[in-house]
Amino acid sequence: MSGPLLGAGLACFAAGALADLGVGVRRAWLRMLPYLLGMAGSTCLAVVGIHATLSKASTIDISEVFGLHGGSLRIDALAGFFLTLLFSLAIAVSAAFVSWVRPPDRAHRRGTASGFLLLLASVAVVLCAGDAFTFLFAWESLTVSFIVLTSVTRREAGQVGAVWSTAGIGKVSGASLLLAFLLLAGHTGTLTIAQWHAVGPGGLRDVAWTLVVVGFAGKLGVVPLQVWVPVGYPAAPGPARAAMAGIAANVGVYGLWRFLGVLGRPPVWLVVIVLLAGGLTALLGIAFAAVEGRLGRVVAYSSIENAGLIVTAYGVALTGAVVHSELLVAMGLLAATLQTVTHAIAKSALFLSLANVESATGTDELEALRGIGRRMRWSAAGFGAGAIALAGLPPSIGFVSEWFILEALMQQFRLPGLALRLALAGAGALVALTSGLAALAFLRVLGLSFLGRPSRIVDERGRETGRLGRAALGVLAVGCLGLAAVSPWEVRFIADGLGSLVPEHVTLQALKSPWVLQPVFHGFSILSPSWLWVAMPVAFAGVILGAVALSRGRYLRLRRVPSWHSAGPGVAGPASYSPFAFVNPLRHVLGGVLGTRRSVVEIADTPDFADAPDFADTPDTAGANATAGAKHLETRTQVAEPIETYLYRPLRTAALAVAKVAKRLQSGRLNLYVAYMLIALLIALALTATIR
Amino acid sequence: MTEHPGVSGAHNAAGGSRRFEATERDEMPQGPEMSESSDALDPNALRERVLDALRRGGRFCGLFGSAAPGGTQLLAVVAHEGAFRTTTMNVPAGLSSYPALTPSIAAAAWYEREIHDLFGLEPAGHPRLDPLVLPLADGAAHPRPGSHGNASPRAPSPLAPSPLAPSPRAPGLVQLDTTPLPAHLHGEGVFTLPYGPVRSGVFESIEYLLETPGEYLPHVRSRVYYKHRGIEVRFEGMDVADGVLLAERFEGTASVAHAIAFSRAIERLAGMTASEEAELVRIIHAELERVAAHLDTFIRQVEAAGQAVAYSRLTLHKERVQRLRARLCGSRFGRGVVIPGGVAGAPSLQRSDLVAITGKIESAATADLRLLMATPSFVDRLRGTGVVPEEVARRHGAVGPVGRGSGQTVDVRASHPYGAYGLLGYEPVEPSDEGDVLARQRVRLQEIAGAFRLIEGAALRLDRVAGSGRWRVPLEAGVSGEALGWAESPQGEILSLVRAEEGHLVRVKPRSASFHNLALFATAFPRDIFTDFAFIEASFGLSVAGVAG
Amino acid sequence: MMPWIPRGLREGIVTSRYPRHPDGYGEGFRGTVIVHATSGTPEQLALATRACPTGAITTVHDRPRVDRGRCILCGRCAELAPAVFSLDPSFETAAVDPRGLVVPAGDDDESAVEQVRSQLAGRVRMLRRSVQVRHVDVGSDGADEWEVAALSNPVYDVQRLGIFFTASPRHADLLLATGVGAVGMLGPLRETYDAMPTPKVVVAAGVDAVSGGLLGGGYASRGGLVGEIPVDVLVPGSPATPFGLLYGILLAVGRLTGAKPRRSRTSATRTSVAHPDGPTSSAPGSRS
Repeated sequence: MSGPLLGAGLACFAAGALADLGVGVRRAWLRMLPYLLGMAGSTCLAVVGIHATLSKASTIDISEVFGLHGGSLRIDALAGFFLTLLFSLAIAVSAAFVSWVRPPDRAHRRGTASGFLLLLASVAVVLCAGDAFTFLFAWESLTVSFIVLTSVTRREAGQVGAVWSTAGIGKVSGASLLLAFLLLAGHTGTLTIAQWHAVGPGGLRDVAWTLVVVGFAGKLGVVPLQVWVPVGYPAAPGPARAAMAGIAANVGVYGLWRFLGVLGRPPVWLVVIVLLAGGLTALLGIAFAAVEGRLGRVVAYSSIENAGLIVTAYGVALTGAVVHSELLVAMGLLAATLQTVTHAIAKSALFLSLANVESATGTDELEALRGIGRRMRWSAAGFGAGAIALAGLPPSIGFVSEWFILEALMQQFRLPGLALRLALAGAGALVALTSGLAALAFLRVLGLSFLGRPSRIVDERGRETGRLGRAALGVLAVGCLGLAAVSPWEVRFIADGLGSLVPEHVTLQALKSPWVLQPVFHGFSILSPSWLWVAMPVAFAGVILGAVALSRGRYLRLRRVPSWHSAGPGVAGPASYSPFAFVNPLRHVLGGVLGTRRSVVEIADTPDFADAPDFADTPDTAGANATAGAKHLETRTQVAEPIETYLYRPLRTAALAVAKVAKRLQSGRLNLYVAYMLIALLIALALTATIR
Repeated sequence: MTEHPGVSGAHNAAGGSRRFEATERDEMPQGPEMSESSDALDPNALRERVLDALRRGGRFCGLFGSAAPGGTQLLAVVAHEGAFRTTTMNVPAGLSSYPALTPSIAAAAWYEREIHDLFGLEPAGHPRLDPLVLPLADGAAHPRPGSHGNASPRAPSPLAPSPLAPSPRAPGLVQLDTTPLPAHLHGEGVFTLPYGPVRSGVFESIEYLLETPGEYLPHVRSRVYYKHRGIEVRFEGMDVADGVLLAERFEGTASVAHAIAFSRAIERLAGMTASEEAELVRIIHAELERVAAHLDTFIRQVEAAGQAVAYSRLTLHKERVQRLRARLCGSRFGRGVVIPGGVAGAPSLQRSDLVAITGKIESAATADLRLLMATPSFVDRLRGTGVVPEEVARRHGAVGPVGRGSGQTVDVRASHPYGAYGLLGYEPVEPSDEGDVLARQRVRLQEIAGAFRLIEGAALRLDRVAGSGRWRVPLEAGVSGEALGWAESPQGEILSLVRAEEGHLVRVKPRSASFHNLALFATAFPRDIFTDFAFIEASFGLSVAGVAG
Repeated sequence: MMPWIPRGLREGIVTSRYPRHPDGYGEGFRGTVIVHATSGTPEQLALATRACPTGAITTVHDRPRVDRGRCILCGRCAELAPAVFSLDPSFETAAVDPRGLVVPAGDDDESAVEQVRSQLAGRVRMLRRSVQVRHVDVGSDGADEWEVAALSNPVYDVQRLGIFFTASPRHADLLLATGVGAVGMLGPLRETYDAMPTPKVVVAAGVDAVSGGLLGGGYASRGGLVGEIPVDVLVPGSPATPFGLLYGILLAVGRLTGAKPRRSRTSATRTSVAHPDGPTSSAPGSRS
């Protein structure tokens, strides 16, 4: 059954892409058709995934359905789990797309739907790929879909750079996977991925491990390969960002999980690097998410943070593999998988809400979006639920997954050897800092922007999306919060999915009793998210009822007066904490990470606030005007990514210099080019001969 | 030279009757007044003469307006070599503007804003003419202080008042225009945090607008008009002897200093001086006032730093000072002591008792303050906070502890000696160059010690000369003329410009140190954050009443 | 921190025991002006009446009366007509009605004031144990703020009586207003009053706030706060002393309904509506 269903799903995607490219986007129903097909296809694939996970059959080979040779397409429980998760989300994202494209001003050109469906198809094939060729083919087509989606709508000047970074890092990631696969295939003599476990310990496996981690981490956005994320995601149109961040990026996670099963024990130094890189990624991501002024970049940086969290937890699993502790592997993988689920659902919710908000108001500036929550309630609710989950606040799924990650990082006392202990402890400190900052970052967005007093732009343009889009947001919001109530079932399902990596009964030790969770190890600590769902509302209601009862109902008798502002007449312009100002202390405290620069300059004159927000930026020359109380000043604050500043900028400069030199080789003469090719061929032959 | 076209045009058209006239006069500490007068056709004459005086090393002390027959008289005061040089210029009634001094003399900015508010005169070329003390609504009449003296003096009818009848009120309150003003600071995420006028705690009403991108305070603005009581106009028509009661209420925390400045101006008009014993009593009260006010700045800082024990210690010392003042004269603020012609009477405390009590207070307060200034958790909040650079203070002519903390030596007790300060051999404190809150508080610490020395010296001397009992010299009836009085209040130099006719006040313009220094407040913040605000504000030690008028 | 504590301990207890026990503070201190039964010579009286800078003295049927709500305690009347007027250290001069500030009180006034007072007592029953005070400066000269702030010093230490200063009017029960009613502050005063929860009570402190004193009127200030917001207690004084303020606050929250605290020295002619039970009621120390 799985084969035909998978085929049907992929056929739906193909039909949708054809409809988009062939028929165009002139009419509303034509614009919606490809996404409806996408919904149908995603449903098929989700069903395949559920079946594969629950049937627990080791592997279902479906290659013959497609006329491919044996082993090139097959589904096991791990692929099934990811199919279930990602294509359930794909249904919601497609639904949101259907509502999103309906108004005429959203999709002017063909290509968005094709890119989206290509992305879904590539994800499906990557998950089901059984051999290196299929895997790499699907992986590269995923990169192509990213390039299509980031370049399909031209909105801003910087977008070309965004496409370049996305493509560049995608290529780096694909190239390192290709290299790893070539090494492994060369050593084992087979292209079937499952048979690569035959490669024994040694330098080659360590190199392959490193290349695999680099390849998959690039897709996730782990330091230092994160630079494309904050520019790449916002460059994509509307809900496509949800598809990229919430769905496609998770194939990187899948790859890491898959190759832990294939390659076995990683080198210790790689584990230490993974742990620390994960912790640093998380901190860097959340620090920038907290200070960015544009919502698209805030959410994108939060993706980097989550990539860091997932990779850190994965590092714990790798540690378990190093010290041959099945419990620790289960612990790390369970925490990382829970975080993956959290991130996938919540990030889809965030990006879908953002798509609605940005398309309605035409901006994603936090300052301009004040009060959007009062005009676009569904989108705000979706964003709020996602933000609560990503901030790790109870009773959301994010709370459960972050609890597991922190508990996993606290197991360092069980380890031998100083290096791993220190790495685990360091990563733990970074993750703890990260989760604190995450609450701050999302509090800023929700409290100061979404729930503020509506700005003019929001008042005029805030219009909610269509019914299907609202339903998708509603489902995702319920998922972000409500899934925690049934987290024991979630853990059971994940245990099924991870069956090929750690025995199911080991992972299931995370269930202390049917409704109580523990971090796999006995007697460390316990948590019952389901009980939280009972206790928190009861406590909340109890406080309110108690207050009303104790005050004999006086709390319900209200006299409304204007809010208190020190009784002054107020000021022209903003008179309360802005989202920017709220995190200004953070800009200072984390100045090292954020590369903060600050200056106050005198300007000639400042026009009235209400009339012109932009003003002439001319320095004052008349020193006499620098009188107390007669100044016109402007304050400027900038942040810069340290990796961009210290790694990529010099690299870019060097690359451009090399390119300049290489240009001298371009003479335009055909015979010279033939000579170059000849020389290259000779060198290649010589190298091959020497190696043999 | 740039002339405002409106001014010169109107001037040319008007001809001889509408002329700018400039006059100069030197007010010497003692001796006859030197007065210099000349007609000037040039509307820039005032600015040129003031600038000239400043170039010769003078210090700008203020620019005041007065309604005069046929226009508005502007009067600039420059301190130079032990004298106050006043330069006046008449702006004819037909003109609504004159060339501003502010573009060349930054310190004039607030004075010109005040003149704009009170007289409706526009200083042409002023860089930012926001309302300061009186944001009048469109069409409201400007109060024009100096024009009310001829109205019937406010002699209360002895039979009229009944507690049931409402108090006599002026025809009506002015209409204010409280439309918010545009911010001074712009940039990403910048917002304004309005703090006041009803502030969190027991403070005088003032609104600070903290313009900030969050946490940092690149710019702080003060809006002082809330407390504007129109007190200058209330002087007009009063008997010169009653005027001192009002002068005491101009700035409650510097009651004695204002009374001294006012009384000395009246005494100069009457061509007399107070007796030595009266001057000594004045010194005792003025210096006790200084001790209390300086202690108050420390109290507000320890409160902000959360030093509970230090707070209760210092408030206890301050209470004791206030009680001592009450025992000396019956008023906890030294009110009713200083009157034109001397003091109301002998202090109601023996010298030995006085010296014993001040000695006790001094030793306890000094020990506690020393300990406080050695408490790192406190001093760290002060060091490097709220820096007023020496250059800024000098250009502005900063007075009082604010100036002395930034390298300025302005202290009229020494530079323009008045009363008995010369007799007691008063030595001013050495200024400090750091310009931060700590420097200002160290200056105050020294001044407290100096004040106790002066009290002791005055009490000692009083014993020797008090036999005569010449506490007050009766004023001759019907004093007339114009004079400037000055005194060093705890906040710094204060001036009192008095014009009287036939024993009634026509125009009184007290210039508090707070008014002069508060303009500097905005410059003290660029390197500081929200939590430094209370420390910096306290270190300025200003009285809002004295600013708003 | 460590060196501070022994200093505090060495000082001993400096806190007043007022109102449970009388406080002897104020020797030679001008707390209020009192009118003696002897009327003195008419010339002296006329001289004193004319000399009063605020017109606080009136003469009805040859009986001089002083409106303490206008008296700025300059002492001129006591100097010119010592037989009629004298200054007294008493500070228990606050009243719940402007009529209560006129001494000696008329017969009608006393009963009217008593009526106002019992109404107030009924309204503020909730505030008797503890009261949160919000101070607003409505155009004072700055001295009033020092005296209000002095209530927190260890001598008066009003926290011992459950009186606390609060930053927000949202938490305040009692509005303590000082100042003459400057035009710029009338709006903020009203706003602060409106922002307070009920039941609330307003104390106007100092003659500036009570009647405008010497500087009320004019283009920029009211003659006091009566009429701007509902004022419940008026505390005379220029400025009102800390004890005077404390008495006013206790009066406002109805904590002086029992026996009143007594000073050791009581003038036989003293008449004040703040003591409805008359000057010879029960002994000190018996109040709750």
